[in-house]
Amino acid sequence: MATTIKQSIGTWDTLHENGPFPTKNLFITSLESEGNIPSVTDRYNDAAEEIQRLLREALSLGQGFRAIGSRWSLNDIAHQRDNLHVNAKMNLKKTIAADEIEPGSSFQPDYLFFFQCGNIIKEMHNFLASKGKAMHTTGASNGQTIAGCISTGVHGSALNTGSVQDCVVGLNLIIGPDPQDNVYLERESQPVMNERFVQSIHARLIRSDELFNAALVGLGSFGFIHGVVIETEDRFLLKRYVRKINKDLALELATTLNFHDSLFKIPGETDAAGHGLLPYHYKVFINPYVTDTDYVIEAMYKKPFQQGYPDPIPAIKKSIYRDLILLFTKIAESCQNNIPKLIKLLEKSILPPPDLEITGTLGEIFWDAGYQGPAYACSVGIDHRDSGRALDVLVKLAKEEGPIPGIYAMRFVKQSKATLAFTKFPVTCMLEIDGITWTPHNNKMISLQRFSTRMIEVLKANNIPFTLHWGKNADWSFPGLVEHMYGPNAAAWKQQRSSLLSRQQAALFSNDFLVSTKLDEYVGNVPV
Amino acid sequence: MKKQNYWIPLYHIFLLAAIALLPSCYSVRLISRDGIPEPDYTNNSQDFYKNKQVHVLDTTIRLKGPEGDFTMIQNCGSGGFYSLEYRSTLGGVLLSAITFGKVRKVKVKYVCLKEGS
Repeated sequence: MATTIKQSIGTWDTLHENGPFPTKNLFITSLESEGNIPSVTDRYNDAAEEIQRLLREALSLGQGFRAIGSRWSLNDIAHQRDNLHVNAKMNLKKTIAADEIEPGSSFQPDYLFFFQCGNIIKEMHNFLASKGKAMHTTGASNGQTIAGCISTGVHGSALNTGSVQDCVVGLNLIIGPDPQDNVYLERESQPVMNERFVQSIHARLIRSDELFNAALVGLGSFGFIHGVVIETEDRFLLKRYVRKINKDLALELATTLNFHDSLFKIPGETDAAGHGLLPYHYKVFINPYVTDTDYVIEAMYKKPFQQGYPDPIPAIKKSIYRDLILLFTKIAESCQNNIPKLIKLLEKSILPPPDLEITGTLGEIFWDAGYQGPAYACSVGIDHRDSGRALDVLVKLAKEEGPIPGIYAMRFVKQSKATLAFTKFPVTCMLEIDGITWTPHNNKMISLQRFSTRMIEVLKANNIPFTLHWGKNADWSFPGLVEHMYGPNAAAWKQQRSSLLSRQQAALFSNDFLVSTKLDEYVGNVPV
Repeated sequence: MKKQNYWIPLYHIFLLAAIALLPSCYSVRLISRDGIPEPDYTNNSQDFYKNKQVHVLDTTIRLKGPEGDFTMIQNCGSGGFYSLEYRSTLGGVLLSAITFGKVRKVKVKYVCLKEGS
């Protein structure tokens, strides 16, 4: 049977060292070997029993319990003081058979896959590629677990596609130690799997749009995400261009997304009449400290998959415009953590020259991102039509109250149905600020905490509706923050959580992050 | 008048340099393009190996008789190796040369592929 190692760790930290956070125990669960339990479903159910055993133990001690994914979030959203669970070795994957689909469902079994929580994006890419399929989108790299991605709303810049959670059409949650605590959620309006499948994983079927949408970006607090059913598409290629274009043109595209009538054109990426095509992905890189007439942009166009294209990985490995923090650390590497020197460099440097054109699959274009050292990242979601205004406000903040050691980027993501998705606008512009962590007192600079607070204050003062990336740095205890960002959806999310979990279970999956944001509140007497 | 021996200080310098160079080294790392490393989220090293489960082989092999070829067997689960870093030192090269290849210093750092990936 599945086994778990327990370690007393004292403190725990994120990959980018945004802690440390006090923690009692770390649990690492490994699956039973295939030789001993050949059936994928039986091994999955065996792992579920092990998780339920751990939950029973935590409940009996009155403690909390949360899974941590690949610890890529840059705040304490994954953290729990009592018990943290490493689910990375729980990485079963399976295709879906036609007789597991609900009759009348609009989904095709060939495009559906079931992944256990600890699968990281890269292994999902590999598995799907072996079946001729691909995910619709991912983040800028591939190391996050699928459960971590959806819990925090990981996104790319697929402006007509959405975020990772928007590929998910079924959720298997373990909410407690008893048999009825193994639940499988779907939207009522979009049934996918039939009772036979649900019974095979020993779960209880719940179909509800409201509950599913709330649990989808559940911040790790709707229970232990054990598995997900995702919808995929035929594998495709992305042709990636990095260009320096006029700043006004780059911002006009950001606010209008009107590539059809824009002066921005890439040869070969136009229609028969010579109008620009809508890219799959559009991203703008900005150094806030330089008044430059040009910005660097990254655009990707979707192409049908065909074999025989050159291996893109050597070029991707050298590319610096892949990931904002990678770009920043490349710019900063000559400064050896000397923050004043780095700021001076930023104030006079333009961004490095654009990369070469590269064609590859989604998994190749967003390939491995190595560890870049201690880092912070702030990410604000705004309606793309407000992106120019929001950029002005946040650049002004960095110039007048900063500087801070970081650079900016804008990505664009289609609206999500998830109740607390930060991609809540028809197309959300995620305005990101990434950089290396600094010590404010030594350098007589504004602190990250203060800068994060001021970001919220200036956006509010300028009447720019916004959200914040759940997995990044922000002043999460800012009074009334979640209600301001999500309005009635904040209460709806709490209500759905309270309808699924008992008060004791809600406490089991709660943490300091939830308390800071007031999302831990339990709504009593909710109709189930 | 006593003739000065300039060779003694030069010899000392050469000896010191040789001793200093003995542990000097370089390393080469191979990684799997599509592989997924075995995770270890308690590994907080500040380098490529962060989050990865690392195995280190640091040993000296002594071959007997005419044995020229040698294979070390490591258990890396059913998947195989994700990465392998071989470290070579001048001292190790000299030791192998002096012993005609019979004594070999081995310093290898490797990461296995994630099970089931």
